Amino acid sequence: MKWPGYAWAAGATFASTLVALGLDAYFHVVNVALVYLLAVVLVALRFRRGPVIVVSVLNVVAFNFFFIPPRGTFHVDDPQYLLTFAMMLGVGLIVSGLTERVRARAQAQAALEIEAETERVRSALLASISHDLRTPLAVITGASSTLAERGERLGAEERAALAQSIFQQARDMSELVTKVLQMTRLESGAIKLERGWDSLAEIAGAVLRRLHDRLATHLMMIDLPDDLPLVRVDASLIEQVLANLLENAARHTPPRTLIRLRAHVAGGEMVVSVEDFGPGLPEGDLERIFKKFHKGAGLGLAICRAIVELHKGRIWAERLPGVGTAFRFTLPLETPPPMPVEALAG
Amino acid sequence: MNPTILVVEDEPEIRQFLRTSLKAEGYRVVESPNGRRGSLDAGMHKPDLAIVDLGLPDFDGIEVIRRIREWSPMPIIVLSARIQERSKIDALDTGADDYITKPFGVGELLARVRVALRNAIRASTGEKMLMLGPSSVDLEKRRASKDGAEVHLTVIEFRLLGCLAKHLGMVVTHKQLLQEVWGPTHVEDTHYLRVYMKQLREKLEPDPVRPKYLRTETGVGYRLVADENSGMEP
Repeated sequence: MKWPGYAWAAGATFASTLVALGLDAYFHVVNVALVYLLAVVLVALRFRRGPVIVVSVLNVVAFNFFFIPPRGTFHVDDPQYLLTFAMMLGVGLIVSGLTERVRARAQAQAALEIEAETERVRSALLASISHDLRTPLAVITGASSTLAERGERLGAEERAALAQSIFQQARDMSELVTKVLQMTRLESGAIKLERGWDSLAEIAGAVLRRLHDRLATHLMMIDLPDDLPLVRVDASLIEQVLANLLENAARHTPPRTLIRLRAHVAGGEMVVSVEDFGPGLPEGDLERIFKKFHKGAGLGLAICRAIVELHKGRIWAERLPGVGTAFRFTLPLETPPPMPVEALAG
Repeated sequence: MNPTILVVEDEPEIRQFLRTSLKAEGYRVVESPNGRRGSLDAGMHKPDLAIVDLGLPDFDGIEVIRRIREWSPMPIIVLSARIQERSKIDALDTGADDYITKPFGVGELLARVRVALRNAIRASTGEKMLMLGPSSVDLEKRRASKDGAEVHLTVIEFRLLGCLAKHLGMVVTHKQLLQEVWGPTHVEDTHYLRVYMKQLREKLEPDPVRPKYLRTETGVGYRLVADENSGMEP
């Protein structure tokens, strides 16, 4: 980045000398000096101090050599030209100082704007999180204080119900906090993929077990071909993607809606889909739901996108013809490693 | 006499919760607020089981596990936060027997404790018969059947099952399995496990897509659950 500045400085001197030589026949030597000054200002506008000093000095030298009598020498007959040289140098330095300052101010302004934007996003995030935390906290505070202060006056059933709702709300809250942390880590690049050869069917099996209670209200259909190739992924992260998509489908469709988990290979990648046959997404941009804290989606889909993109895959939503929604993501396929001999035998 | 459980945990509130729920089940509880104390208490009280938090203030919970393992095979269960994926695996590879991710419910905790204590007893008597729903496996006679019909398992498949059965109900890491079944040169070859677990599930599980007995602990390893303890939570 530095050397082009000096190259431009030398070029500017060369160009202004050519122009000045052209003007020389018709104009006074003072105007010729102004051509050199213009070159200094132009270089100062574009480059930092170093090239400006270089172009100022080169211009003085060239001006002296070509235009100050005796021409063709560096000798100066009339001492007043020394003042001209000093002026040319001085103007160059002052202009470069001024442009430098303007540039610094512009940069500071840009930085401020970025900071303001970050701040805006952060406070939106905070507002959204604290909103999501407030309800569970209110329930927990209320229910637990009731148990602590009035517990003995309540029947066993009421006590159990209060304790249960504390448990439930605390668990939801902890999940939210985990998600916020996860999103922060994904955004800051703190997550390094721990990739290994893994089976999508296995990951799916683990997710279905973990979410068993939450998906029990819906009809689950698993459609994973027997010969699905292994993928090289960070299994814990892909598990989160599947879990978020399945939970999302269950949360946004009425009970007993069919949810289908599918995977197939197409064009050198694996396409994994979570399809639901619910009422479908409302009109609007299908991209927007992957934004942080888009209404209803919370952080889940934003986390999915970050994880899938870390794996060099894509994720998107589709409206299914007729009724329902599909969330699909891709995972690149690589050549699988050699298998142990016994496995090949059967 | 009731089993004694050592709890190494720095957060007083979590210690209290552990103490209350463990005592209610009839266990005797010894509490240590840090790693140094925990290592000493393990030697002094000779507990039947240790619960070790991974995020201790003085030194890593993994160091506690290492010190206990120098002299005792007592079951060790680690408590880890969701974000400590890596140190959880390290703890298991250092010799911990199982883990629970914070926050956890009491049911999950007690199930883990019960399985670990039962397994510690079994390790000395040696039980070789696995009941997996419609399937049963006799590890000693190397015989397996599903729905009454004989099922052929390969040598490697038996070895894999045997390795999981040694820690019945508890998690076994990829590294441990690969090392024990294929040897130290194959500890990175996780794809071997994917292939063999798929085969085993197809041969033994009632529904291989949603395995009930040969469970995946994503990113960590596998857990074999037989009928006697399949009531426990995942």
